[in-house]
Amino acid sequence: MSAPAVPIPAQQTMRGRAKQGVDHTAGLVEAWLRAHTLLVYAFLYVPIIVVVVYSFNGTNQRVMHWEGFSLRWYEFVAQNNEVQRYLWNSVVVGLGTAIISTTVGTMAALGLQRVPRFIRMPFDALTYVSVIVPELVIALATLVFFASTIGRDGILTNATGITLGFGYHTIIGALSLFNISLTLLLVRARLSGMDRTHVEASYDLYATPIRTFWQITLPQLLPAIVAGFLLSFTFAFDDYLITTFVNGQGTSTLPLYVFGQIKRGVNPSTNVIATLMLLVTLTLLIGGQWLLGRYARRSGGRAGLGQGGVAEIVAEGGT
Amino acid sequence: MADQGIGEHLQHIGETRVSRRGFLAASGFTAMSAYLAACGGGGSAPALFMYNWADYVDLDNIAEFKKRFNISDANFTYDTYPSNEELFAKLQGGATGQYDICCPTAEWTPALVEEGFLEKIDWSKVPNAKYINPQFKGLWWDPNDEYQLPKDWGTTGISMRTKVVTEDVRTWKDFFDIAPKYSGRIVIVDSPGDVFTAPLKALGYSLNSVVPEELEQARELLMGLAPHVLALNSDTYEEPMKTEEAVLGLTWTGGIDELISDPSTADTKYVIPEDGTLYWMDTWVILKGAPHLEMAHNWLNFIHEPEIQARETETNAYATPNDEAKKYIDPAILADTTIFVPQEVVDSGLLEAAKDVSLDPLRQEIWEQFKSSIGG
Amino acid sequence: MAAAAPAAEVRPRAATAPGPSRLVTALLVLPAGLWYLFLLVLPIAIVLLFSVGNRGETGGYAGGFTLDNYQGAFRNSGPFVTSLYLAIAGTLLCLLIGLPLAYFIATRGGRRKTLFIILLVVPFWTSFLIRTYAWLILLGRDGLAGVGVDLTGNDAFRLLGTDAAVLLGLTYGYLPLMVFPLYVTLERMDRTLVEASKDLGAGRWATFRQVTLPIALPGLITGSILVFIPMMGEYVVPQILGYGQTFTIGSALVLRFLEFRDWPAGSAMAVGLIFIMFVTITFYLWFTNRGRRGREQSVV
Repeated sequence: MSAPAVPIPAQQTMRGRAKQGVDHTAGLVEAWLRAHTLLVYAFLYVPIIVVVVYSFNGTNQRVMHWEGFSLRWYEFVAQNNEVQRYLWNSVVVGLGTAIISTTVGTMAALGLQRVPRFIRMPFDALTYVSVIVPELVIALATLVFFASTIGRDGILTNATGITLGFGYHTIIGALSLFNISLTLLLVRARLSGMDRTHVEASYDLYATPIRTFWQITLPQLLPAIVAGFLLSFTFAFDDYLITTFVNGQGTSTLPLYVFGQIKRGVNPSTNVIATLMLLVTLTLLIGGQWLLGRYARRSGGRAGLGQGGVAEIVAEGGT
Repeated sequence: MADQGIGEHLQHIGETRVSRRGFLAASGFTAMSAYLAACGGGGSAPALFMYNWADYVDLDNIAEFKKRFNISDANFTYDTYPSNEELFAKLQGGATGQYDICCPTAEWTPALVEEGFLEKIDWSKVPNAKYINPQFKGLWWDPNDEYQLPKDWGTTGISMRTKVVTEDVRTWKDFFDIAPKYSGRIVIVDSPGDVFTAPLKALGYSLNSVVPEELEQARELLMGLAPHVLALNSDTYEEPMKTEEAVLGLTWTGGIDELISDPSTADTKYVIPEDGTLYWMDTWVILKGAPHLEMAHNWLNFIHEPEIQARETETNAYATPNDEAKKYIDPAILADTTIFVPQEVVDSGLLEAAKDVSLDPLRQEIWEQFKSSIGG
Repeated sequence: MAAAAPAAEVRPRAATAPGPSRLVTALLVLPAGLWYLFLLVLPIAIVLLFSVGNRGETGGYAGGFTLDNYQGAFRNSGPFVTSLYLAIAGTLLCLLIGLPLAYFIATRGGRRKTLFIILLVVPFWTSFLIRTYAWLILLGRDGLAGVGVDLTGNDAFRLLGTDAAVLLGLTYGYLPLMVFPLYVTLERMDRTLVEASKDLGAGRWATFRQVTLPIALPGLITGSILVFIPMMGEYVVPQILGYGQTFTIGSALVLRFLEFRDWPAGSAMAVGLIFIMFVTITFYLWFTNRGRRGREQSVV
């Protein structure tokens, strides 16, 4: 489905000479696009390589002092319950936020297509406000809100006698705000200008709205939903400001641990965790891609299915 | 794009969707159970919820504590904060009653008491407090010794790479005098209380001064210094010093002591200015509404057992206020003057305790002006 | 509900627009609405309340009503201008770097598209602070700056503590936020349009401008907003990579809330900032959408 690397042969066009010119630049542009992409990925991953290398730093305390190769911090992480707890909390918070944000955001994007203007406009305004509010401000304000409603002396606590307090729920709830808006914006960007003929055809054929959604709309939206999920997970997993103010006892995440180390010197334990996570994710990604490819190939090359894995299915969604 | 292709292609999506549903359910359950497990610790089982700087307590000591008082791993939680300001903001925002033990810097104690965030300590449960050196009792921060148990203490001073800075720098006045020469190679901690120490002491005033005339004179000195400052950095100031990106600093001893002991940077020097300087103290406190009051007291008593405390000092490299513990500390560390300030310096009255004057409007205005003007 | 719909649809289609019922639409929008109500509107109401209040003795909020905080908030425009400069430069950089990348992945990525996309975001599953520390090492004297000192012979040469370092750090951190929306719109692009355009003799640039760019526009707008706005509030990257030499509006906010413990002053500054940004965004969206035919609702 990608654009041909070499444009249509000159004889098929009306203006032969002009096409010759385009032939030359086509190759150059392709080369430039490729080089650019390579450079960007290099830019993104060079610091990561440094992170991985420094996970083997034999230093006593401060990660930035290189003191020889050592696995001591790997041992540290393997034996340290607290650090493992922080990692677990980060994963819980990340996944929880991603799942909720993607679901709620997508639902809202779909619903907003059909609501009357007097509802849609305030909604849009709020979406942008949620992105505009500085994170420190929303963190503190949300803390006050939670404290006065479900905290020890909160309104709801006094009324019902149940102290919900702070914990995973407050972190995920607070983090979801921004990420719902994020997914909402991504899905709407995808929806805008989407071809409605398939949808209308589906209704013409008496399909119910649900069926139409499942078989027509959702596949086309998938890249945006996946993008929203990935970004939401990333932001929630690595969030600092909101998490630190609305978290509860025992729910500290990795970012809180790392920032808390600043006073005494950041040690390489976070590098170790980062390296391990990279290892796991990259193995899963590349391994999964390869496995799915093998499975698809073995099941026979059915028309339209191709040999890709989930990647191709998602990529092909809608065309 | 054949119909058959779309059909099977969508069928495939359906299949992957099912597995995603399963994953959703699984993660939901896992999250729930993890959450419940985390909540489970608040019951009657022995537990302690600590809220502290990261890595500020020796891990072996924690393990020992858990063993001695029978606390399971799940019931000893250690949540972290990176600064006193964030600790205070969180408590002020309403997150009280979640943690037992906390460790702020002492100058925050009065404010914490005023806002009602602290519990009084029942000294009958902390007999080891008797080992604390009397000079740390009855301090301005806690005149009746009701709320705080000192943890460790240190000074603010001038650090430099003598390889490059060849002048004999002994006072804050010297510091300001030579600053222009080393323009762009000076690091300063990002802490108003510490930074105001330099000009105020150089002028001979109290470092806690809120007298407008004195502060205005301090402003002049600070604004003269600002263009020459490389960085305002409380966390990694020793990094530029190590690589000689910076050669002069207004710093604490953390990180500097490592540079001094490292052969390749042994020319590093830390000076306690002769015109006076600040000393700070970190202190244990019990938070109001602590879920495990009894255990909190157990911790306070435990941490000042001499051998336990000695281990703390060796791990954290900050001076201990516990005299008995000194018997168990490695003599090399005891002799290190950056960590253990020589007694004659302590007795000379050179060290002034930092007070919390950060709410003074003039100080705030000068600090913001300084902060926004640093660098060329 | 679903069973009743087809029967209604058999009647003239124009009478009832096909699609989910009003109830379903309401239900779809409800969760987000609740989130906005409880976790956005109410907290902002609290901020507004604080902004007209007095600071307590030991900081925080202590009731009362005063407009002094607003007076003080806009006395000094320095931090705002600094943030503006950084955010605009950073957004442009993200755009210049991100657009070709998104285009490449969307159109040339083939069946590895999603892999490419996920690989973009994997670096950010390491912790922000250690990533930034990695840049400190790379740009410090042990890294590139050391090379610079040797090359220029200048003992005071440095890369850290400069605007360039800050922009690098900002661009690094916000790139996915620009690339994802662009990718999501470009990926939908029907490549036959591009081919048709070339068949009709349009040059590469003309094709890009008249076919690709309009399709990418919603993504471009979303991406630039998602990057520009948070960059306005940034203070950590300027503090670490910029050595605190750039004093942004984010730094000013942190100063007020945390160091000065002046919640009312900080709240007033925040309200002012939110208001200015909101007006800016509204204008930006109106401006970029007025040319569109709007076959359906605009991207807002």
